[in-house]
Amino acid sequence: MIKWVIFLSFSLWAIISGVGVVLFSNPVYVILWLLSALISIAGIFFVAGAELVGALQLLIYAVAIAVFYVLVLTAVPWEKALKKDTHFRTSGILSLPVVLLLYVEMALVFILGIAASPEGKFREAIKKLGNTEVIGSVLFSKYFFAFEVVSLVLLVGMIGAVIIGRKEKQTYENDTP
Amino acid sequence: MESVIAGLIIAVIKILVILGVVLGVGAYLTLVERKVAAHIQRRPGPMVVGWHGLLQPLADGLKLMTKEDLFPRYGNRVLYNLALIMALVPATLVFAVIPFGPEFELFGYKIKPILTDVNVGLLLVFGLGSLAVYAIALAGWASNSKYPLIGSMRKAGIIVSYEVAITFAVMGPLILAGTLSTYNIVEAQIEQKLWYVWLQPVAFVVFMFSLLAETGRVPFDIQEAEAELVTGFTVEYGGMKFGLFPLVEWYVEVLSLSAIAVVLFLGGWSPINIPFIGFIDPLFFLGPLSPFVWFILKVTALFLFILWLHWTLPRYRIDQITEIAWKVMLPLALFNLVFTAIIAPVVWR
Repeated sequence: MIKWVIFLSFSLWAIISGVGVVLFSNPVYVILWLLSALISIAGIFFVAGAELVGALQLLIYAVAIAVFYVLVLTAVPWEKALKKDTHFRTSGILSLPVVLLLYVEMALVFILGIAASPEGKFREAIKKLGNTEVIGSVLFSKYFFAFEVVSLVLLVGMIGAVIIGRKEKQTYENDTP
Repeated sequence: MESVIAGLIIAVIKILVILGVVLGVGAYLTLVERKVAAHIQRRPGPMVVGWHGLLQPLADGLKLMTKEDLFPRYGNRVLYNLALIMALVPATLVFAVIPFGPEFELFGYKIKPILTDVNVGLLLVFGLGSLAVYAIALAGWASNSKYPLIGSMRKAGIIVSYEVAITFAVMGPLILAGTLSTYNIVEAQIEQKLWYVWLQPVAFVVFMFSLLAETGRVPFDIQEAEAELVTGFTVEYGGMKFGLFPLVEWYVEVLSLSAIAVVLFLGGWSPINIPFIGFIDPLFFLGPLSPFVWFILKVTALFLFILWLHWTLPRYRIDQITEIAWKVMLPLALFNLVFTAIIAPVVWR
């Protein structure tokens, strides 16, 4: 009973934060709403008993990833932050079908995923071994291939970042007389 | 039902004790810092208020409370005040997962001197610890002023860099202990008769560097940098609001991270360790209080070490700081992690 109350309050908090992310125009407020949404989702994980996932949600999303948006603040002058209008109105309307398609896809994956989810299969193992150990053993045995493919995707992203961020030594040398 | 109520009462008592101790000690550490700094520089420090300045923190508090509450004219009041809350709350929440001593029995109830012994305590420490960056970024932006913004951006850059290093540094002890719960890590060290600092000196050094960087202590206090930035992101704050930021950053966070260092590397509440042989306890006459005294002693020693660094070293440049993080600390921590991960399963189990 009390679990449901906590779960519902966290869900409500997450939904309100999500609406806040969409409605506010000041980027600083948007970052804060996003942070609040991420923290409430971590709370939902904790209520569900997935301690490790909750802590990782907090550590990776709320801190490591959302922090990078904070660096956006340097690029937000005060006058721009207070303005209400946005540049991308037509682009937003044009991209609506794509967004809808993506949502349908997400719903499909979600519905298919419910059928494939190992509901209750690991409950005994979690009781015996603990959350972290079970996630580790499942990740590195059953889902090992998917795990490696995902890390490859991340590697590609990292290489891209390094290429974008590299110094172009040649041009500087040519400039010096 | 009775046990539920007892559990609740115990939890409330724990919360009150932790909050009181942390904030009270935090306030008094300002005096400790000023005294240590003074003696390092061969001067007496605060001497007027009370015996050897013992009442100085109260006087300072009174002064800060009664000051006028100034607010920058074009600032953002909501975020300006929210920054204070976001600085204080995560920093004090970290103490929820710090074990202060072994389990003891009182009036028939078994009490662990830790607020919540969750399985993922250590991850929570770093999750909550780095939420502090939002407070500083907000404080800098909401002030609508140049110095605070520069200071807060410097701090954000430092935290982003060192958060990676510190997370990889603690993986070494984690592999040796085989658990993420702070309480069990200490118990594992007592069981194995080994402080992990003996096997993980590299991780310890990286951890201490990151501790200094995340709490903005010298040599990484580039976000304050009195000479260039006045005092960084606290420029537009006045009175007690101004006092809160150094209190949180320099004392509460240093205390919590020092406590985590003690838990991870120095065996928590265990007495002096001879590797693999056992523990020597010169404080045996204190009986059941001895573990708590040991814990406090170790945290104090680390804190004094940090003060010593703070008042003797010069300051790094911002590019040097980030360079150390990415080019020295991160590879060292990664190498240590891989080495431990390869060796530990062979030798350890």
